[in-house]
Amino acid sequence: MSKLTAEDLVRLRDKARAAMDFEKQGYRGKVVMHTGTCGIAAGAEKVMAVLTAELKERNVTDLVVTTSGCAGICSREPLMTVQLKGQSPVKYTELTEAKVKSIVEEHLVGGQPVEKLAFVMGCEAAY
Amino acid sequence: MSDKPNILVVDDESIVIRSAELVLKGAGYEVEGANGGREAIAKMEQKSYGLVFTDLKMPEVDGITLIRWVRNARPDTGIVILTGYPSQDTIKEALSLGIIDYVPKPFTPAVLLDVTQRAVHWVLERRGAAGKGEEEKEDFPPSMAAELDKVIEFYRDKPGSLIPVLQRAQEMIGWLPVPALRRIAQGMNIPPAEVHSVTTFYSFFTMKPRGDHNVRVCLGTACYVKRAEEVMKTLEEGLGVEVGGVTPDRKFSLEEVRCLGACGLAPVVMVDSDTFAGIDPKAAMDVLKPYG
Amino acid sequence: MANDLIQISVCSGTGCLDAGSLLVRTAFEDHVRSQGLEKTVAVNFGGCAGTCPQGPVVTVEPGGVLYHGVQPGDAAAIVGEHLKGGVLDRLRYEPPEEPSKIPSTGALPLYRHQVLRVLRNKGLIDPESMEEYIARDGYQGAAKALTQMTAEEVVATVKNSGLRGRGGAGFPTGLKWEFASKSVADQKYLLCNGDEGDPGAFMDRSVMEADPHSVVEGMIIGSRAIGATKGVIYVRAEYPLAVKRLQKAIDDATAAGLLGKNILGSGHDFELSIYLGAGAFVCGEETALMRSIEGKRGMPRPRPPFPAHKGLWDKPTVLNNVETYANVPPILLHGADWYRSLGTQKSAGTKVFALTGAIKNVGLVEVPMGIPLRTIIYEVGGGIGKKNKKFKAVQMGGPSGGCIPEHLLDTAVDFDSINATGAIMGSGGMVVMDEDNCMVSLAKFFLGFTADESCGKCPPCRVGTRVMLDLLTDITEGRGKPGDIETLIDICDDIKNTSLCGLGQTAPNPVLTTIRYFRDEYESHIHDKWCKTGICRDLASFEIDPEICTGCGVCARACPQEAIVGEKKKPHRIIQELCIQCRTCYDKCKFNSIQIKASRKLTGVAAAAEGGKH
Ligand SMILES: Cc1cc2nc3c(=O)[nH]c(=O)nc-3n(C[C@H](O)[C@H](O)[C@H](O)COP(=O)(O)O)c2cc1C
Ligand code: FES
Repeated sequence: MSKLTAEDLVRLRDKARAAMDFEKQGYRGKVVMHTGTCGIAAGAEKVMAVLTAELKERNVTDLVVTTSGCAGICSREPLMTVQLKGQSPVKYTELTEAKVKSIVEEHLVGGQPVEKLAFVMGCEAAY
Repeated sequence: MSDKPNILVVDDESIVIRSAELVLKGAGYEVEGANGGREAIAKMEQKSYGLVFTDLKMPEVDGITLIRWVRNARPDTGIVILTGYPSQDTIKEALSLGIIDYVPKPFTPAVLLDVTQRAVHWVLERRGAAGKGEEEKEDFPPSMAAELDKVIEFYRDKPGSLIPVLQRAQEMIGWLPVPALRRIAQGMNIPPAEVHSVTTFYSFFTMKPRGDHNVRVCLGTACYVKRAEEVMKTLEEGLGVEVGGVTPDRKFSLEEVRCLGACGLAPVVMVDSDTFAGIDPKAAMDVLKPYG
Repeated sequence: MANDLIQISVCSGTGCLDAGSLLVRTAFEDHVRSQGLEKTVAVNFGGCAGTCPQGPVVTVEPGGVLYHGVQPGDAAAIVGEHLKGGVLDRLRYEPPEEPSKIPSTGALPLYRHQVLRVLRNKGLIDPESMEEYIARDGYQGAAKALTQMTAEEVVATVKNSGLRGRGGAGFPTGLKWEFASKSVADQKYLLCNGDEGDPGAFMDRSVMEADPHSVVEGMIIGSRAIGATKGVIYVRAEYPLAVKRLQKAIDDATAAGLLGKNILGSGHDFELSIYLGAGAFVCGEETALMRSIEGKRGMPRPRPPFPAHKGLWDKPTVLNNVETYANVPPILLHGADWYRSLGTQKSAGTKVFALTGAIKNVGLVEVPMGIPLRTIIYEVGGGIGKKNKKFKAVQMGGPSGGCIPEHLLDTAVDFDSINATGAIMGSGGMVVMDEDNCMVSLAKFFLGFTADESCGKCPPCRVGTRVMLDLLTDITEGRGKPGDIETLIDICDDIKNTSLCGLGQTAPNPVLTTIRYFRDEYESHIHDKWCKTGICRDLASFEIDPEICTGCGVCARACPQEAIVGEKKKPHRIIQELCIQCRTCYDKCKFNSIQIKASRKLTGVAAAAEGGKH
């Protein structure tokens, strides 16, 4: 990457924003696995493997699957956030293989948040 | 046993075995060859060898597997690796398994003889020291010395780099034996007393060897409140060692740490790099089951 | 007429912010001001109602009318309609007939009180992607500081924001920067303290792991303010993931020219590297940390000279905590007044806490300064984790801090109010204890820690903590004597007054606060040989209350000594000669029928009465 100027930074921001917007990129949604130290210790990586395997098996390619840092609810790790087009982000906690399978089936493929497994819906205040 | 231990050369290419035999027999060593890891294990089950020279990349039973087996079943046998692919990772893994040295392939007779002499010396010293105190029995394999020298070289002229050097050294050897500290002091041109005092000041450094599996019990506040002390007690009783100790068979060492940063999962125990969360103090020993 | 007040809340959730809710809020404020409507219309931020794709979302009370997709230009129309008592149908959002059963963040107490400033990117970005950090306004604060402001202006902004150091002592950051900016030298250093020695705290680790660029950006701004060209982040070697992600952040920022020479064409140079700490608590102290980077034993030295004049390698040096730096970029971006809009007069902004221990929601929370402890524990934290156990105390500030009891739970969380309780704000560890935690043992635990970690330079600290530890060990093992409490307090005073560094000066705090608030526990340990929690095994005996016991037999099966006998469905009893006070039965009993009494051995109660009948 070449050296940035302040103007480049603004341009880069707008570009990166668009790149992060899964809708603009033509995806149907985004799944974020939270992998901080405690998430990993609680088995986030294994859950992630189950998730990717499930999605592959069902040939789901229109979702962005990514990782991020700790979501702050350590006692309920492993955690993931699912946001589909037109829906609020939904957090699922204390994930297990079985839970991931039903989330893939009902939410990621079926499009309906799994009410009995979801912990919370919406964004956190930040300003 | 005589002062020339017998040697087993393991490689999947018979040309390598033959040329090693030629060189070593010429120098008066007793040498046998094995065509691959499986044959080597079969031979070693019948007979004991002072030294094993092994290739890393072999079909079926590869070098690392063989080294693991030797470490477990024939702990007195010294291991030297012969390798055409000295990638940093495999060397590192082999080092962590306790090999004495390595010979790059293809080798010249001089190099092979030189390494062999050093390895023999090392094996004999260890054997001689076996009757003496625990501390002296551990020595410091020459292969590590070479690696360590590289680290020292890299940091020598950077001010304030004693701690990074000690960190790298411990990463390589697993602990900080006195000969390593001496070598660092010499190489860095720092008085040995200062190296020693810095080493003992920081809890991250250990001057005692660790077991094959290092068990670390978190005694941070969050874990304490969830009764980590009882977890520690159970492990101390179960392993029959106190915190800071190593089991007589060198399988496990037991340490305490202050917070692994996984407080949400307290109480936490780490075995090597695996984290175990929410341990029931009574059942703490169960955690160690998969590690034999 | 208060009832007529129209309340407009603009959602400040991350989704709505991204959709532009800040501008919407400003438009409402401007409109209200320009029309002189301050008395009838109030504008503020509100929580997320779980309708994020419709953002920016605005709620108007009375009536709870929800608007979606609101643009700045809509402010006047919405206010106008509501003043007339109507509703602007064009933007009105009708929630679905069958609302989702999933609670929204605005409705859950865990989230309702939190405002994410330090953790602004929490869970939203890939920590290893600089682009994603930039997408969320990353490095805009640094760009502003470097290309539009003088160093003095940067210092002034941070000073006016009221930001105080998050590493424990709460020293005003702007002031620290001002001192260093005035020192003249050929080389200055800017350091970041990521040692996080307080066992049971993990805020800094999370920030470094989840948002490493925020620390890097904060440091770039700091380096500009004081004129430093070299920086070091000191991180515990026990945090490998944090180290890896920070290193990636530094490498990426360097490749992009955000670190290195002539950053953003401003002429300012700043190089950043990581130094791995080797595990000594005292190295978190600033002078010790600098010695450690120099490769020596990390011993503190007396101040003055202050590091702002003579620090690392004797050059002017500023050290700030990880969270302190992470606070800086948005202050530059949004201004000092924005920062002060949360928190109290003397403690501005928000604070991140690591909530752990006997609490339901263990984790990382960020709340405005000044909210009561009770709110953090019972609402954000969800109260005590185990059912039917009572709250006993919350420990703040780790080994340098203290315990705050139930009756002080209404204390506001700000530097000065917490200090008044005898605890300290510390770096943000909050360990909650319920009635099963023994406060004498806890004091012993912390003292064991400081005695271990004392670098040994000052005798009062080295010897004093040992003596206290011995005394506390005696008390917890049944050898306590009358007068021990007074002796402890005396030694505490000595250590406090004669130690060189913060470690010694604050080491007595856990003992002093537990004596202050839980003196009865010390007394029952000493006089009655009774630890009512049973944690001190030597000071407890266990009995089954026959009135409560249902004879379910769970305890008998769990007892490792087979010391519990009784017929099924009839009250059981414990054979005292066999009991080793392991507490298993107490933990297993679902009916709370196990009573913890004073030690029989030490108080001379004959065990025969109940135990000998079998
Ligand atoms: C014994 C001792 C341990 C400390 N440990 C830490 C620590 O782990 N992390 C930290 O940020 N500050 C720690 N501090 C405080 C630092 O000395 C220093 O005040 C702080 O890093 C300054 O940053 P701030 O102004 O941003 O708070 C410690 C202080 C003492 C006396
Ligand atoms: S206290 Fe044990 S992981 Fe933090």
